[in-house]
This record gives sequence, C-alpha cells and structure tokens, in this order.
Amino acid sequence: MSEPANRRGAPKGGLTRRGLFRGVGTATLLGGCVDRTSTTDPGGHAVVDDATAPAELGPDRVPVRFTLNGESVEAAVEPRTTLLDALRLDLDTTGPKLVCDRGSCSACLVLVDGLPRNSCMMLAHDVAGREVTTVEGLSKGDELSALQHAFVRHDALQCGFCTSGMLISCAALLRRRPKGEPLTATQVQDAIAGNLCRCGTYPHVVAAVLEVASGKTERAGA
Amino acid sequence: MADRKQTLRLGFEGHLRKVDVTLPATEATPWDADSKLEIVGTEVPRLDGHLKVSGRAKYTFDVALPGMLWAAVLRSPHPAARIESIDVSKAEGQPGVKAVLAVAKPGDTLRFAGQDVAAVAAERPEQARDALALIEVRYTPLPFVVDTEGAMRDKAPRVHEAPITERRTEGDEPGKAKAGGMQGNVRALPPNERGNVDKALRESDVVHEATYVTQVQTHSALETHGVLVRWDGDQSMTVWASTQGIFSVRDEMAEVFGLAPSKVRVITEYLGGGFGAKFGASAPGSRLGFIAGELSRLARAPVKLMCDRHEEHVCTGNRPDSRQAVALGGRRGKLHAIDVVAHGTAGIGTGAGVGRNAFSLYTRCPNARVRAHDVFTNGGPGTAMRAPGHPQGAFALELALDELAAKMGVDPLKLRLDHDEHPLRSMQLRQGAERFGWDELRKRSAQLRSRNTRVRKGVGVASSLWGDFGRANAAVATCSVLRDGTIELKNGVQDIGGGIPTVIAQVGAEVFARPLSTIRVRYGDSDYGPSVGSGGSTTTSSVTPAVRNACEQARVALQELAAKQLKVPAGEVRWDGDGTAHGGGGSITFGQLCKKIDGEAIVATATRPATYGHEPMAFPGSKFYQIAGAQFAEVEVDTWTGVVRATRVLAVHDCGRVMNPLTLRSQINGGVIQGTSYALMEERVLDGDLGRMLNPNLESYKILGARDVPEIEVMLTEVHTGANNTGAVGIGEPATVPTAAAIACAVYDALGVPVRSLPITPAKVLEALGMIPGRPA
Ligand code: FES
Ligand code: FES
Repeated sequence: MSEPANRRGAPKGGLTRRGLFRGVGTATLLGGCVDRTSTTDPGGHAVVDDATAPAELGPDRVPVRFTLNGESVEAAVEPRTTLLDALRLDLDTTGPKLVCDRGSCSACLVLVDGLPRNSCMMLAHDVAGREVTTVEGLSKGDELSALQHAFVRHDALQCGFCTSGMLISCAALLRRRPKGEPLTATQVQDAIAGNLCRCGTYPHVVAAVLEVASGKTERAGA
Repeated sequence: MADRKQTLRLGFEGHLRKVDVTLPATEATPWDADSKLEIVGTEVPRLDGHLKVSGRAKYTFDVALPGMLWAAVLRSPHPAARIESIDVSKAEGQPGVKAVLAVAKPGDTLRFAGQDVAAVAAERPEQARDALALIEVRYTPLPFVVDTEGAMRDKAPRVHEAPITERRTEGDEPGKAKAGGMQGNVRALPPNERGNVDKALRESDVVHEATYVTQVQTHSALETHGVLVRWDGDQSMTVWASTQGIFSVRDEMAEVFGLAPSKVRVITEYLGGGFGAKFGASAPGSRLGFIAGELSRLARAPVKLMCDRHEEHVCTGNRPDSRQAVALGGRRGKLHAIDVVAHGTAGIGTGAGVGRNAFSLYTRCPNARVRAHDVFTNGGPGTAMRAPGHPQGAFALELALDELAAKMGVDPLKLRLDHDEHPLRSMQLRQGAERFGWDELRKRSAQLRSRNTRVRKGVGVASSLWGDFGRANAAVATCSVLRDGTIELKNGVQDIGGGIPTVIAQVGAEVFARPLSTIRVRYGDSDYGPSVGSGGSTTTSSVTPAVRNACEQARVALQELAAKQLKVPAGEVRWDGDGTAHGGGGSITFGQLCKKIDGEAIVATATRPATYGHEPMAFPGSKFYQIAGAQFAEVEVDTWTGVVRATRVLAVHDCGRVMNPLTLRSQINGGVIQGTSYALMEERVLDGDLGRMLNPNLESYKILGARDVPEIEVMLTEVHTGANNTGAVGIGEPATVPTAAAIACAVYDALGVPVRSLPITPAKVLEALGMIPGRPA
C-alpha cells in the first residue's frame, strides 16, 4: 500500500506480482510458468489443461470453468484475478481467507486436484478444468468430517480465521498418510508449518489431528 | 428492596474462609467455593465451532451486500510531508469507480508513512486500487525521525508542533493519570514512587544497572481492520465491523456523521482477532469508518473497506518499543531498590508506558520508582496490545532481577518469593517450581555451562499481574424464556475468539438446569443491548454476571408461574436437575410450564453491579483485586548458531472461577505463544533513511509457527473472589504478560550472559557470547 506503485496491478512504478503478470501478458505467463508434468510439490506451478487453456486471455473478463467442491462452476474473471479472489468475490465461497496475499500464511489454502495450494498465489485461469476443494467441501452438506468434529472438540480454533487453511493442511496430511500408519506430533506440525495462527491454536490442532489419525474419534454430534 | 448481607466462602486452595459481603438487592447470590455447578466449569466445545470449521461463519471480510462497492485508500509514502495539492479527478470515471474522496487537504501535514491521503470506491477491489494510481498528489517532504533514540536528541525534527492528548481505548489498563509536559519529542508519563530510591541505591551493597530494549510488535490479527457501511436513509446506518468494541464503533460513527447513536446499528458476528487494536470505527492510524461512510454516502451504495496486510502493519496500531534503564539495589540479601527510567515510542501516538510490573509486583521492596516517557516518532501510532506495557515492563524487570540475584548469589525464584506479597502468586510460584522441576533444572543449566557444551539449556520464571477490571452497569443482558421452551440470551457483545457466547450459554443452562441445546445466544449486534469491548480482560467478568442476573430474574417469574400451576406458594416450588418444578405433591416439566407462559415469553433484563468483594486480597496500593500468574520457561540454545528454541512453558494462572477449562486453555496457549513469538521473532523494522516499514508482510515480519511452539502445560489455581455473581475474572492479558520475560531469563540461565534486547535473535545471542562484534542498536 503506502503508495500506489505497490498496489496489486498498479500500472507504473515498482514491480509487484500482479503488475509483473500483467506486464508480461497472460499468454507468456502461462506458457512460461507452466510445468506441464503433474507436480506433487505444493509450492509448484499449476498444470494447465491444453484443451481448455486459450492461447491468450484478457485483459477483460474471460470465463473459466472448474469443479468446485464437487460441482461444476463457471466464473468470468480477468486473467490477473487470483483463484482466491475468484472464489471469494465471484463464487461466494468465503471459507478460504485473504490474509497475507503472498503465500506466507496459508489462510487461503485449498486443494487443487487433491494437493494443498495457496489460492492467493494461483490465477483463477490456472485451475481451468481442475478440481478445487475448499473448507466448505470437507463436510458433506451439514455433516462435518471426523477432522472437523475433532477441531471443535479439541477447541482447535479461537477466532477461526486461520481455521479453513489449517483444516485443508490437516485433511491433506490425513489423505496422504499411508493407510494404517500412525502419525506423530512432528508430522502434524510439519504439515501446518505454513499455516499462521495468531490466536495460538497450534497445540489443539495437533491434538485434534492425532486423535483422528489414531482412529479413536467418537463422531460426537455427527 | 434494600441491600442484603450474605456470607460467602471465598479465597483459594488452603485459604478459604467465610466472608460477609453486602449485595445489592437485585443481585444473585454469588457462586462461591461451596457452589456445586453442573455446566459452568465444564469443558464445553464452543457452540459456533461447527460454523467456523465448515467455512460458513461470515466474518466482516466475508459479508457481501447487493450493489456493494470496495474501497481502497491512498496512503502517504512519506514519513513526514506537507500536501501541496491533491487532484482526484483522473480517478473519477475509471472502470467501476463510483466515488472518490480526498481525505487530506492541501496544507495538511502528514506525520507517518501510511497516513490517509485519498480513497476510492469501485465495484471490484482491484478497480479501486487501480484508480488510486491516478490520484495526483504533490508532497513537500519534511524532516522526520523514526528511531526512538534519534527522536530524543535535541536537534531531532519535531513530530508534533503542539502537545497532544492521550488516546485511550477499552484495551488500555484503566486508572492512569494525566501526563506531564512535552520536551522536544519526549513527553513524561505520571511517575510512580514509594520510599526514597536515590537514597536506597546509595545504601545498597550490590547494585545492578543495565538498559533493556524491546521492539515494536504489530498485532497482526489475521482478519485485518475493516468496516462495511450501509446507509439506511440519510439519518441511520448499519455497519459491519471487524471490531472488538461494537459500541465504540457505534459511538464513533454517530459522532462522525452527526447521527443519534440509536440510529447506528453495528454488527460483528465473527471476528478474526484483534488483540487490542480494534476499538472504534477508525483504526488507530486510519479513519476507516469515516472513509467508508463518506464514500458510501457519495456513491449511494454500501461500501466495504478492508485493510490489506501492509496497511494492517503500518497504520492499525502496534505495541510500542521501550528502552528501560534499570537500576536494582540489593542490601543484606534483600531487594532494596527498584528504579526504572523508560522511553518508548508509540510513533505519532501515545501509550508507551511500561506497565505496573516494576512498581506493583515486588511490593516488599520498600523503595521503587518508575518514570516512563512517550517519545514521538514519525511512525504509525501505537495502541493497546494485549496487556499494554506489561510484557515490556516484565522483560526488563525480571531479567534485571535475575542479574541482580546472580550478583547477590541468591536463587532468582527465592528472591521473587521473598518480595512478592500476593499470597496466591506465592503459592503459584512454589507449586509451579515443584511441578516444573526448578531446582534440578537450574543445576542442569549450571552443569552444561561449566562443561561449555555447544547446546545449552536454561530455565527462567516471571510473574504476571493484572487487575480485575470487570465493569459494572456496562453490559445489559436479556433473558427470554419462550413458550417452546427455548431460553434466549441476548447481549451485544462480540466474540474476539475467546468464546464468550459459549460461556453465556453455560450460565443460562446452569441457572435453569436445562440442556445447552435449549439455549440460544444472540450476540455480535448492537441491537442486542449494551455491552463491553473485548479488552482489558473484562468481557467474561462484565457480561456473565449480567446474564446470570437476567436468568435468575426470569427464573423467579417462572417459579411464580409454576407456583400458580402447582397451587402452592412460590417459596415452596422446588426445581430438580432437569428443570422440572415440584410442589404440593405435584410436578410440571419445564416444557409444560413454558406452554403456560402468558404471551410470547417471560423476559428479564439485567446488568451487573459494581464489584462488592475482593478476595483473596486487593492489590497493595490499589482497590482492584489483582489477578496473579507465573510462568516458567525452558529454552535450548545452540551456542554455535545462536538459535534459541523455547522448549517448555508451564503457565500457572488464576482467572477467578474457571468458566470453561477448554476455551480457557486455548486463551492461555494463545498468550504463551504470542509471548514466545514476541520474545524470539517479531520485530517491526523501519528504515531510518526512508522512514518506512521494511517488513510489512508476514514472511519477513516473523510470527511463531507450529514447529516453534514450546510444550505448554497449564496449571490453574482457581480463586473464589466474590467480586461478582459468577466469580469470573479475565485471562486474556495475564496469560501473555510474563512469557517473554521468562524466556529471556531462561536464555540468561543457559548462557550465563544476558541478552538484554528483544527479540532474542541468533545474532544477539552470538554477540552476547562475544562471538561476533556488536552492532549499534
Ligand atoms: S493469503 Fe494466501 S498464503 Fe496468505
Ligand atoms: S484461530 Fe485466530 S488466527 Fe487461528
């Protein structure tokens, strides 16, 4: 902030992430950044489906279609729009939160094709044709998952603003864990190492995940 | 009805006694040590937990209204400048832009980088930000100073031309007097002195003198400051605010726009943290409420203004820094004098005092003096942050005390016990030391030091004090018993994350002996009746007694109804554990009874009266009951790399009656974790040449993550205070007061040399060990 040049998408002055994106043009960006082999590195770049990715997009709004929490959705967004903004502003999915806007807090975490991604660091057009799961998609209707129940029971949330991202990290951990193998506290801490919580819920988050991993959860209230 | 006398059993473990208190007529008999409670005091998971874990809880940041616009603010790039001209015309007519506002005027002086200059409202947030780039402002940069020491020099540029008055919020510790005059950029705060410190220092046989430095910390709540304003006609408005003080927002908006307070409705259903910075419609360094309200008026549409992370760091408040020159005198093995001269900067704002620790903790020391000063600099204003002044004060005092203890050859724990008059804290220190293994761990540190091992371990202890500032007549609660058997409890309090709605429900369930599922709590809306801000550790102690009184009064009416149904005098009605009324050989269930309610509901409204009892003792020199706490910390230091890890913290706390041990533990964990983060990582860095913050983000402004959290053990020493009818007092602040101090003491124990500056970074550790040359502060 403090001066316009530092704002996202500002046309002049210092370089910003989105300013850079705009400057190089979306086609170059997509062509230049995309790793076309699927990656398991959560910090890696998006995979674009050649069939759905237009050669050049924008600068005006362009429709993008993807699967959100099991449903096919379409939004018309500018190429510079992040996945997070598209979710929050265009698709009324406000579970993922905007906190740092630069990949350092994980409050905006979602699963893209099953892998945790900071949605503030992806462009909406990068998820064309892919599957996106937000915290809203962890429960089935009103039925909370065992992990969500455990969060409530262990009070793994205070203000709750980091909770969506925490849950995504923890759900991803539980999913990628080899079946039947117990988890350690260190593994959980590593999994949420990128999730900032200002209220200090980390110990209760670890306890909740370990309980779910141990299979001893009672589905209280389910 | 007249006041009545009541005998209560008050005090704490091993010190319970009968005390006569005089209760106001309408006051429920306080729960005391003999009260057997079923729901209050049990681990109830927070009632809105399912909404927060499913992403359905709508925070201010998430609320969207039809036709809503997004605002963005152009902020000063200069730490000090005069505005020569400001031209917003090019921003008008940009795509999506609906209103543009020059907040500053030509001729205005800007005093910090980040101050409001102009604002735009547009259909999308990115459009608003794009339009800001087209606003043309000519500035004449002025001389500035951003570092505390620089600002104290004679020739330093003056930050304010005129004396300024203190800005206080509900987050501040009550009871401070007016400040003294200004000298340059330095403004003296009211001094505290007992005994004769200068004489006592001369008489002392051991004197320890050193300067202790703490950094500026930002609150960094994950939800940034922000408001959404909707005008409902031109004389009333609804405001959604990310605030810890709904009524402070209402009052400010009413004043700014000349409206009757009753015409301003404020809603905060969910709040993503605050930690002291979110009172009023403005952020401490930005007129958010005015900007959003004015843009909304101009655009004739609701306007949402949320700060981004950079703005959150620079203009929404911070914990001021401090430089504390401490002199301690020891005489015949006892602490004889405490002298603290403190200077700190709250930027352009006030409030850099260092808390009561030095003056009010070791009260057996006969001579004590604290002289604190605000130093004005061209930085964003400080504001209350979780126990304002205390973590700074505790750090300097407790580390200095350990250094004195070393010079005197006494155990630091013993030195504390010898001078702390608070009976409960003395017990906490003794029991905590035993549980922690203090004596053995101190021996282990000494061995590791003498063997000169690469990895050292050390332990430290520090104390916490805070007042019971629960407020009388501030919160008004309404209890409605509905015909369908639902008990509805209403109060306009906001939940900062402590879980107050859950505790409110527990109180209702307790009074009526009804399951929690039949209780509905309505909160987070000024329409639900006056309440307090979530600040100063006062929420539970101000709100729950009002709720209980309302419930008890509704229950009396219900009892009369039951008496009528059972055809017995009201005094003969007995309630059993599931809310069934018995009398005259008959009985009526709660559900049946509610169906007999005349009209829709039985409704009672009540508040809490002023504090009427102080147990176990009032704070020496103060009429407030003092909340006691102590924390023990263990650290591991790698002497080759200088990296410090906090490995263990034992937090021993009193919070009056424990209302909900589950959410209470969460709050204590939070206090310890924030304190650890403050001790080891966080620091706002301002560039002296540019006058701007260099780390206004969350990757270079470091906050403790999951892997750095010590193992935290919580030990609760319940106190029955008799100060209000539920016996609740606060814990939010006490839990973070001593953490950084205990960690600093532990580092000293590990190394044998102190690190007198926070945060304790690897560089400072290596410097203290003499392994790298010192850098100028
Ligand atoms: S908001 Fe995306 S990582 Fe912080
Ligand atoms: S619960 Fe508040 S930030 Fe994590």
